[in-house]
Amino acid sequence: MLVVVCIKQVPDTTQVQIDPVTNTLVREGIPFIVNPYDTHALEEALRLKDRFGFRVAAISMGPPNAEATLKKALALGVDEAILLSDRAFGGADTLATSRVLSEAIDRLNRQEQVGIVICGKQTIDGDTAQVGPGIATRLGYTQLTLVDRVEKFDPFQGRITVRRKLEGRHETVEAPLPVLLTVVRELNRPRYPTVPMRLESEQATVQVWSNQELQLDQNGIGLKGSPTWVSRIFSPQREKGEIVGDGVADPAGAAHLLVDKLVSRDLLVV
Amino acid sequence: MSPNPQLFLLLLILSASAFVIGCYRRFSLVALGRPEDRLDAPGTRFARMLRLAFGQQRVLGKPFGMNHFVIFWSFIILAAANAEFVVSGVLPQAGLAALPAPLQHALLFLFDLVSLAALVCVLIAFARRLFFAEPSLSSDYVKARSPEALLILSLIAVLMLAYFGLHAARIMIGMEDPTAMPVSAAIAALMAAPLATDPTAVATWSWWLHALALLSFLAYLPQSKHMHILTAIPNCFFAGLERPNTQPREEFARGMRFGAGRVDEFTWKDLFDSFSCTECGRCQEACPAAATGKSLNPRSIIHALKTNLLANGSSLRAGETPTLPLLANASDTGPGEGSAGDDAIWACTTCGACMNACPVLIEHMPKIVKMRRHLVQMRASFPEELSAFFENVEARSNPWGIAPTERTKWHANLPVRPFEQGKTEYLLYVGCAGAFDARQKQVTVALATILDAAGVSWGTLGKEERCCGDSLRRLGNEFVFDRTARDNVKLLAERGVKKIVTQCPHCFTTLKNDYRQYGMELEVVHHSELLAGLLASGQLELKQRVAQFGTVLFHDSCYLGRHNDVYSAPRQVLATTTGASPAEFVRNAERSFCCGAGGGRMWQEEQEGERINLNRVKEALQQKPDTICVSCPYCLTMMEDGLKDLQGGAVRVKDLAEVVVEGLRA
Amino acid sequence: MSEAKVGVKRPRGKARLIEGRCIACGGRCESACPVDAVEMSGSGEPEIVVAQCIGCVKCVKVCPAQALEVVFTEEEKRILEQLARESGADAEDGDPEARALAAKLAAYRGVWVFVEQTEGEPARVSWELMGKGRELADTLGVPLSAVVIGSHVEELCYHSFCYGADQAYLVDEPVFRHYRTEAYLKAVCRLIENYQPEIVLMGATGLGRDLAGAVATVVGTGLTADCTGLGIDDRRNLMQTRPAFGGNIMATIMCDKFRPQMATVRPHVMPLPERVEGKSGPVIRVASGVKEEEMLTKVLAVVSDRNRDHVDVAGAEFIVSGGRGMMGKENFVLLQELADELGGVVGASRSAVDAGWMPHERQVGQTGKTVRPKIYIACGISGAIQHLVGMQDSDLIIAINRDPDAPIFEVAHLGIVGDLFQVVPALTERLRSLKQKAPETAACSNG
Repeated sequence: MLVVVCIKQVPDTTQVQIDPVTNTLVREGIPFIVNPYDTHALEEALRLKDRFGFRVAAISMGPPNAEATLKKALALGVDEAILLSDRAFGGADTLATSRVLSEAIDRLNRQEQVGIVICGKQTIDGDTAQVGPGIATRLGYTQLTLVDRVEKFDPFQGRITVRRKLEGRHETVEAPLPVLLTVVRELNRPRYPTVPMRLESEQATVQVWSNQELQLDQNGIGLKGSPTWVSRIFSPQREKGEIVGDGVADPAGAAHLLVDKLVSRDLLVV
Repeated sequence: MSPNPQLFLLLLILSASAFVIGCYRRFSLVALGRPEDRLDAPGTRFARMLRLAFGQQRVLGKPFGMNHFVIFWSFIILAAANAEFVVSGVLPQAGLAALPAPLQHALLFLFDLVSLAALVCVLIAFARRLFFAEPSLSSDYVKARSPEALLILSLIAVLMLAYFGLHAARIMIGMEDPTAMPVSAAIAALMAAPLATDPTAVATWSWWLHALALLSFLAYLPQSKHMHILTAIPNCFFAGLERPNTQPREEFARGMRFGAGRVDEFTWKDLFDSFSCTECGRCQEACPAAATGKSLNPRSIIHALKTNLLANGSSLRAGETPTLPLLANASDTGPGEGSAGDDAIWACTTCGACMNACPVLIEHMPKIVKMRRHLVQMRASFPEELSAFFENVEARSNPWGIAPTERTKWHANLPVRPFEQGKTEYLLYVGCAGAFDARQKQVTVALATILDAAGVSWGTLGKEERCCGDSLRRLGNEFVFDRTARDNVKLLAERGVKKIVTQCPHCFTTLKNDYRQYGMELEVVHHSELLAGLLASGQLELKQRVAQFGTVLFHDSCYLGRHNDVYSAPRQVLATTTGASPAEFVRNAERSFCCGAGGGRMWQEEQEGERINLNRVKEALQQKPDTICVSCPYCLTMMEDGLKDLQGGAVRVKDLAEVVVEGLRA
Repeated sequence: MSEAKVGVKRPRGKARLIEGRCIACGGRCESACPVDAVEMSGSGEPEIVVAQCIGCVKCVKVCPAQALEVVFTEEEKRILEQLARESGADAEDGDPEARALAAKLAAYRGVWVFVEQTEGEPARVSWELMGKGRELADTLGVPLSAVVIGSHVEELCYHSFCYGADQAYLVDEPVFRHYRTEAYLKAVCRLIENYQPEIVLMGATGLGRDLAGAVATVVGTGLTADCTGLGIDDRRNLMQTRPAFGGNIMATIMCDKFRPQMATVRPHVMPLPERVEGKSGPVIRVASGVKEEEMLTKVLAVVSDRNRDHVDVAGAEFIVSGGRGMMGKENFVLLQELADELGGVVGASRSAVDAGWMPHERQVGQTGKTVRPKIYIACGISGAIQHLVGMQDSDLIIAINRDPDAPIFEVAHLGIVGDLFQVVPALTERLRSLKQKAPETAACSNG
């Protein structure tokens, strides 16, 4: 059985800042990282590999320099790394992205049966959480999002039971394979690469699939296949820190003010 | 003169064979280690050997040190007497009798007195082990009253007693001159009158007793910790010439192994160290981890190495995998003798106190780092808190993972001062704490203010400054350190930096010592040194004497003091600024006690035993200071935290620069 | 020489990057270029191959950051000026393609709000959306519909009317008792197919985002996630504004060529509309055609976090943390009371853990847990860097500390300078009294 992990190279958003003078994005020297949620997806796939001996393939759609991200996955122990890169894929929104990724998974499935696809809950640059469901729906896999624990996995019966983390509650769900999981940070603690593996991964090759391989209709991918587009960007209004009331002279009054402020701003529901 | 030369010869051959075989077995195990050059600068090495081995410099630093000194020199002198004994035992015609009378007389006199001194000291040592043993004499596997130690002491005592018995009997028989041997003569008198013993029988018995004690000692020596009699002196010769403030570089290529996860992945010198340990417990006493009840005991690490080597020696020689693991997880059942526990390996602050205390110059800390290298690089196994640290440094080049763009925010009110090639004299290497930690930022501002007041030309690398990699290296993540160091060395070279001032002893030692391995030879000074120079030359003039900090107690940072020998500069700065030499801790200067944060401990939890910083703050409070002065961001954090936890009242912690900057206010 | 020639070819200029504006959106310009004249640098910025550029301005139009422009040489500018003088203003000719599209889009009418429920309990965000949906529907002059799916959930249709819906689509069958993507997906898709709304809104909750992503894929339309602002432009298109790059920029997203326009909306952003009792409207019952025996997934358990014993600081939505300023273990009971009122958990700084007041698994910071709750209340925590790195990504940080210079106030959104032993009990008290006043809504808090 093949386990497929979808990972994305993202700009390290904690380092993205708005220039206060020009009001534009300061991107100078901002490094690219593996989307943090995807590191948990990768870890879960590698645990399945450790336990059951499955092969793990990591796929990523992105520019040629996203190869670095896949090399990191190779250093952690994935067996195969595939970069989906083509000018025609560029400028894609989530709909067009999931079309390319699901086609690639389907292609892998033709070589070796895919049992589980694992994605991070969302990316930190887009924050959409839409690509996972998009892939699952296209492939017709059962979609189990926001997984924070794999309760049971029976590869012989082909069934998996997971716990999903939702607002204020947890759900335990059982489904037959194939499934697509999107995972949250609480699921696991990603491993650290050993140096021999890092050195091996530096030599390893990342396969690059362009649309030559996938043969998707040009109108369904990239910019052309994306129903949504960004019409404008601007910097958000920054909330300055605010001291509420006079906590020294009137602690109760300050506390009331604070609670009322939270309630009035709908930050707190009573 | 020997009652039976043939029998003695036979015993001698047996004993000598046991000795030679024992030595061979151990020294051939040493050869399993990796190669390492320890023969450079032989003159320096020889002088140090004379001072430390023959002068017993570090041995004398402790109570009972004199005792060992006497026994050591007795052994050296009595080696001649025993050689004579062995020779005359085989060839009765040879021996002292062959020498001219005055020389013979003088030697006998010397041997007689030295034997008495040795006997007295051995008895004292006996009494110490039985009745006054300090806790540091015992470790998990070797106790103060260990049968081995007592057996050896007994053998020496028997040797001395037999010596006196033999010579007293000979005096009684009239074979030897009583005036040459006052001690033996006194015993002879005792035996003659009140005891009325048969001198011939005593002579025979004593001779055999002496012979058996001597031959047993010889045969047993290589099996025991008294092997150090043979290894300590060469160990002092082979010991590293540089301070242990760096670790050796590693080559990174495919198919290689990194760090030491097996005993044969150490160097021969590491293994030789393990046979040189005297089990004296000085490292154990000095170690901040051991002193606060943690799993780490540097002495046990060395002991584990030796035991592991002995256990795995034959399989390693046969090219098989070792049976006893070197690294074992201590959390379940304890690592067991011959293995080092993970908890112990991670508890080390790399403060170097153990190495500073060791009388035979064993290098404990580098071995621990080598084992960390194995754990991190080969197994990716380390305390889970460290994963955040490693990832943050690798992705954002600072321990907290803060955006590098925030690096310049420390100088809120000061103009940005970029380092300009050819124009700026000093690069101010702000350091991660100095740039990001709210408390340490105040120190950075203080230092910048002082430098401006003194008219020093300085600038920073701004957002391009990166972590120096100190903690990475001490934690054994050499692979990431190696990349960091290469990048930094390249950056500093590109910028044409010639002189660097740091406010952090860890940046200081890394830039100064570790980067030298990467071909960087820059003038790196710690701010304490720069300030001392500026004050001494008059370039920095204070407007007032700083009195508001009251009694100032100075805490030595390990990486400034012990690892880099900067002791006087900060004290001079304080003396000039406050008008009085600072108060001192009981454990100060090279015996200073770590704050608990070095060696990457800053980024780990400390759950075992007493907290190291509390131990140090308690020691500080004994001196009733108003202010504890530090020169390191880690020490600053640890001292402040410790004071808050102990409710240290009005006692403050200030960096040296914060004290000096007060002197600039009119 | 300067003689004007009629019929001269109109110069098109060359595209150029405006320094500092590019946001590395992922190569829209590269994809848009018909002649491969845009190459992406390692940092994701375009490099224009001037020799190849034909000045078609496709890249300029597609750039979300207005980071590209077309430049002309002096000579070209001169020609342009001349052309402008000669021909006067260009007449915009009607585009038949655009007219066909407009006709296709016009087939879709109405604003829908998906009413999310768990075991019959509605999510508050649904009512927030009803308020916003009302506004959008009024602007467009179309009805606002509630979409209610579940088992025994008809009541929610009437709640929807009270919050502003004109009508409700109801799919009420036992198979929808628990949320399962496959079942809900089929139901929503069938509704969309049959009734063709122009806008579909869902809450950006775990459930809403699970469903919306699947629906948009099947329907083949655009979906914008986690919106914080919605509006209608002059062409009846939905303007969807949302944070991107970790909240560092805001982006307005359009989906002007596809219908329905779908968005999930962040809870607690849109104001809750006033509930008007006694309102009603038509309930349109729709059979889903979903059969239980075709369902692959089984929901085995739903456990409310309030009933769980295990305290999970890392995943908590509300955290009340204490530091050295708590002065002792016994005082953490104050924080527990406040946390209980909020439905959250108690965390601790390293020093409180070191002092033995709290167990290590509650520790927040560099060597403890990294948390991102909705609200983080730091009590008696000075804000050492070791702690800040573990909680600074919280949605809202509240600091309570005696020392106004404590670094915690630098990251806090709201703060009270004062004695936490007085402030914290007062907070708890205030929450309790507010809850007593509003006992009904207190039950459905989260989401």
